[in-house]
Amino acid sequence: MTRYIIRRLLLSIPVLLGVVILVFILARIIPGDPCRAALGERATDAICNAFNVRYGLDQPIPVQFLTYVGNVATGDLGDSIRFGRPVSQILVERLPVTLELTVYALIFAAVFGILLGRLSAIRRNSPIDVATMVVANLGVSIPVFVLGLFFAYLFAVVLKGTPLSLPPSGRLTPGVEVIPLAKAWGLTSLGGPPRVVLDFLSNVNTINAVLTLNGSLLVDTLRHMILPAVALGTIPMAIIARMTRSSLLDVLGLDYIRTARAKGVRERDVVAKHGMRNALLPVVTVIGLSLGGLLSGAVLTETIFNLAGIGRTITEAIQGRDYIIIQGVVIIVAIIYIVVNLVVDISYALLDPRIRLT
Amino acid sequence: MTLHAEPFSIEIADPLAGQKPVSLLRDTLRNILRQRSAIVGLTALAFLVLVAIFAGVIAPFDPTQPLLGIEENARPRLAPCIHLLGCPAGQPEHLMGLDGNARDVFSRVVFGSRVSLQIGFLTVGFAIILGTIIGSIAGFFGSRADNVLMRLMDVLLAFPALLLAIAIVTVLGPGLINAQLAIGIVAIPVYARVMRASVLSIRGQDFVAASQALGESSGGILMRRIVPNALTPLIVQGTLGIAGAIIDVAALSFLGLGAQPPLAEWGSMIGDERNAVFSAPHLVLVPGIAIIITCLSFNLLGDGLRDALDPRLNR
Repeated sequence: MTRYIIRRLLLSIPVLLGVVILVFILARIIPGDPCRAALGERATDAICNAFNVRYGLDQPIPVQFLTYVGNVATGDLGDSIRFGRPVSQILVERLPVTLELTVYALIFAAVFGILLGRLSAIRRNSPIDVATMVVANLGVSIPVFVLGLFFAYLFAVVLKGTPLSLPPSGRLTPGVEVIPLAKAWGLTSLGGPPRVVLDFLSNVNTINAVLTLNGSLLVDTLRHMILPAVALGTIPMAIIARMTRSSLLDVLGLDYIRTARAKGVRERDVVAKHGMRNALLPVVTVIGLSLGGLLSGAVLTETIFNLAGIGRTITEAIQGRDYIIIQGVVIIVAIIYIVVNLVVDISYALLDPRIRLT
Repeated sequence: MTLHAEPFSIEIADPLAGQKPVSLLRDTLRNILRQRSAIVGLTALAFLVLVAIFAGVIAPFDPTQPLLGIEENARPRLAPCIHLLGCPAGQPEHLMGLDGNARDVFSRVVFGSRVSLQIGFLTVGFAIILGTIIGSIAGFFGSRADNVLMRLMDVLLAFPALLLAIAIVTVLGPGLINAQLAIGIVAIPVYARVMRASVLSIRGQDFVAASQALGESSGGILMRRIVPNALTPLIVQGTLGIAGAIIDVAALSFLGLGAQPPLAEWGSMIGDERNAVFSAPHLVLVPGIAIIITCLSFNLLGDGLRDALDPRLNR
């Protein structure tokens, strides 16, 4: 097991290096001058020269690349050209928004996908099964931006004034206060990596609300998250439902299930204890793989629901030709993605003892 | 020693004599038509293709022509006017109203079908061709070529697809062709992997060994023996991929990176009117439903094809 994990970790290194190279190349060949994008069209050549020296843009490309790889390896993602702040700081502020959104979307997708798929498989060919599969087929055919806008209209306009009305934009209602954890716990003097972790957790509103026992913040956060998370989670939910259904149907046709039934095990237990446990293996993989789709969808969802996460950060950075932010965000997202895939692979092996890892 | 020419002359009836030879194509077609989802998908698709072909006849207005000043009472985001539902006969009919630039939404949706179908086929076609080449080289020649090509594919897969596509469009510059190119590039690894897996399983089979023994060149074996036998999973994957490509290119257009005005494209129609969703929701919903129907029909057809073509499923 340990050997497998080490081998997988080593195998991710060339992929990571490839990611860094690709991102670096893409960021360099974006048309347009970063200096004039940051300082405006009227910046003089002298100012631009100073600008290029400051950001190392006057160095030969290979030198820029090596400097960059060295910095990334030590956790320094550079300073944003437009905001003049470290990219890591921007990530600490904005990654929590995306994290919250994708985690809620994933929870929604996994819970409802598995429930629907299971229901569908148990009641095979019944009207419930047909209806569920129609929903699942629709789910994979709806673009997240159409569903998001539809939800925004439905819950903010049609249902306005009813208890079901939900806010269609932003992260919090104006006036709801977030107290940084560092301040709440009197740790403002804390510095270094622990402070970064603390600030990151503090910016995840759900965690902040739970840790500071702030009920109104929790309720407001959840109310703002429902629409984007459901919109974002619908496509993976549909995929998970289809996977659960076909996987459970496969498993329920196996001999050991017949044995269990012959022994007189209650049908409910046959499905729950014997069937689902084995049927969920491929579903775990699908859940892990859907993370890429969620991170892609987050770009659109954050745009529609006005959430300042990394999806919106990257579209803004592209418009402003802020190479440094683009590089930093894309690399961080790729690292998250690679790590999650690694975890999925390993958990797959842990769940299924038949898989022998070498 | 004499050889008896025909010592026994018992007539044995050929058990297959009464049966018509079954052609592979007809067998496949019959299997496809047995799938309900494939029939629904094909029907919807045929309808869409007809709409796309006869868009000029169906659409009552020029999809790119603002009607402001040309038509009396025309104003941006005019509500739908349908004569059958009681709209005064004196008013010109607009089944789905006008958009923010006072263009007829129905005509734009109808013409949008051309753009979306073309996006689906071109984007996936591009990805399939490159993916097939990469996958078959990796699978057939193995070792170093396999390692290099597949690690390259891993790098492409290490990004969330839309994010990488956005980065590529940024480099190439916004536009429908570039958006299609970006989505096509991002989709290559999927087809390369499918192709590689098929090639690997076919490469070891006897008919390939026979071709090698007969002295056929590597390229010939790859092109004439292996690729045709590996196409089935590619066709299924491609059909499902068309739906994904249409959604992804629409997403880029939605963000303003794909189709540029005044082209009638469903994604950009939604993007242009997204802030009007609270006052004129039909401007977003109508092109949205058009995308859903198109993708649904490709997805249903793809599912049906998979069920019909998969030899492991008992029929």
